[in-house]
Amino acid sequence: MAEKSYSVRRIPGFGAVAVFTFAMLYLPIVILVLFSFNAGPSQSVWEGFSLHWYEAAFQNRQVRDVSIRSLWLAATAASIATVLATLAALGTTRGGRFPGQTIIYALINQPLMVPEIVTGIALLIFVAAIKVQTGYTGMGYLVMAHTAFCIPFAYLPIRARLETLDAALESAAADLYASPVQAFVHITLPLLVPGIVAGFMLGFVISLDTVVITEFVKSAGQDTLPTYMLGQLRRTVTPEMNAIATLFLALSLLIVTAFFLVTRTRGR
Amino acid sequence: MDATDKGEIHIAGVNKVFGQGASAFHALTGIDLTIATGEFFTLLGPSGCGKTTLLRVIAGFEQPTSGSLRINGAEMAGLGPNRRPVNTVFQSYALFPHMTVAQNIGFGLKMLGKSRSEIEATTSDMLRLVRMEALAERRPSEISGGQQQRVALARALAPRPRVLLLDEPLSALDLKLRKEMQSELKRLQTETGITFVFVTHDQEEALTMSDRIAVMSAGRILQLGAPTDIYNAPVNRFVADFIGETNFLVLPVAQTGGAVARLTLPGGNCAEARLPEGMTPVTGTTVTAVIRPEQAAIVAPETGDLTARVESAVFFGTDTHLHLTLADGQPFVLRRQNRPDQQPPEPGAMLGLSLASGALRVLED
Repeated sequence: MAEKSYSVRRIPGFGAVAVFTFAMLYLPIVILVLFSFNAGPSQSVWEGFSLHWYEAAFQNRQVRDVSIRSLWLAATAASIATVLATLAALGTTRGGRFPGQTIIYALINQPLMVPEIVTGIALLIFVAAIKVQTGYTGMGYLVMAHTAFCIPFAYLPIRARLETLDAALESAAADLYASPVQAFVHITLPLLVPGIVAGFMLGFVISLDTVVITEFVKSAGQDTLPTYMLGQLRRTVTPEMNAIATLFLALSLLIVTAFFLVTRTRGR
Repeated sequence: MDATDKGEIHIAGVNKVFGQGASAFHALTGIDLTIATGEFFTLLGPSGCGKTTLLRVIAGFEQPTSGSLRINGAEMAGLGPNRRPVNTVFQSYALFPHMTVAQNIGFGLKMLGKSRSEIEATTSDMLRLVRMEALAERRPSEISGGQQQRVALARALAPRPRVLLLDEPLSALDLKLRKEMQSELKRLQTETGITFVFVTHDQEEALTMSDRIAVMSAGRILQLGAPTDIYNAPVNRFVADFIGETNFLVLPVAQTGGAVARLTLPGGNCAEARLPEGMTPVTGTTVTAVIRPEQAAIVAPETGDLTARVESAVFFGTDTHLHLTLADGQPFVLRRQNRPDQQPPEPGAMLGLSLASGALRVLED
């Protein structure tokens, strides 16, 4: 067939490159998961199956504390970011054209472009100044930093969803006697749910994952799971870390699957 | 109440300008229009003529730059679409994808705060009216385009508006379905007695369905009248050209008198042509006259008003279009009803043409 001759699959070495790429991506993860079930303390010698390291991780009070802190932080930051991102998306797609719209777009997405280390150092200096002035050292700084970082990730799917929504639907609602608030509640918001859920999940995962910004902004005793793990790895590496990482992986997979199911069933 | 208050929709001196300064676009210029209660009124014109803008002004999606709009006597200035007694059938239908057919139809009543029992009763009435009872629980994505069209109609009719606005509602349907929906629309309008304002660029649709038509171009109403008036007596070249098919003939004036002029036809014969009001062309100058392709008949050569040579014949099923050339070289199209015992004339054949009396009209250029 004519179209087959243009297929990328026919380029020599395609199969080898594909296998190599997938191996590089997933082999280390497979090994990490595998050795989380190792009975002995080694990362390279298999000594039999055991759930010992999972037990150790669950009994480690510090691990529990930092996990709960991480989840709480991700949920809080992603929630605030999703609300703000929804408002931003509505403003930029439904408010009509206004001067400086392109600049606003760029500014909302800017955290995606700026190297994290720059944001981290900027926040460090900024937060330090506020700490000195107010004496407040609570979780507020981390929530603020994570929220700011999550906004563009939440904004993108919400805006994409809004742009595919026929604006005539809102006109039709208005024509059928809905006030602007009613039109939003009955038409725009329900149709926006897949975008909002996707935005929240992306934000949640991003927050859960962030090391650099957390490292720079956190006060004493505010370790999140990633910064705690980084700290532990500087000493001895036991398969307990593998077990924690595996649980982390399972959580991400769960979220990604939920995200896929939500967008597939509600997206119609 | 003065005389202009009669009628459902009263539009006076409406202008709509988009943008400002040099880039300003005049979408509507000096629109004056009264649409009567229960009328099937059509806004007809090519795309960009302002017909949809005028519909959006009536619906409340656009505010006019100047002028006044009254519906049932009440001034509409500053009122949003949700506070006007009109409903719209959108070109894209704009059905709510997350609601069932029944929920779509009941939406307007729900927003009006009607009771659940009233919403249910009206919804089932509307489903029956558009013959969609069996599909009440389907989603819009699960029904065909023609069915979506019916739901859009039912949804707009459910709140029992005084005026129904229809924005090219049939343009997405195929020919057969379109014909079906045309008579369906006409039936609904007669049954409900609601004033319909219908926007289309399809002149045939406009002619077959409307009580009155406003032909628009470049933001202005060029002609307003019954379909027969618009077809038989177009006021200018644009209307004559846009509605139906027309032969344009440039002819010298032989004599004028009152409402008619005698024009010299190619070949030397004279024919009477009606003049537009207030026009008295000077004898010896040329004018443009129009005649519809079906208003001339074939007679024996040298016996009619005109002699013509056949260039080609195009078969259209019900009739055949003969492309002819007149004695002075001007083209002329003649439409002849097909009959089984008739053969189309061969190219090169000479024919005589007899013009129906009153068919020839002089146009203002």
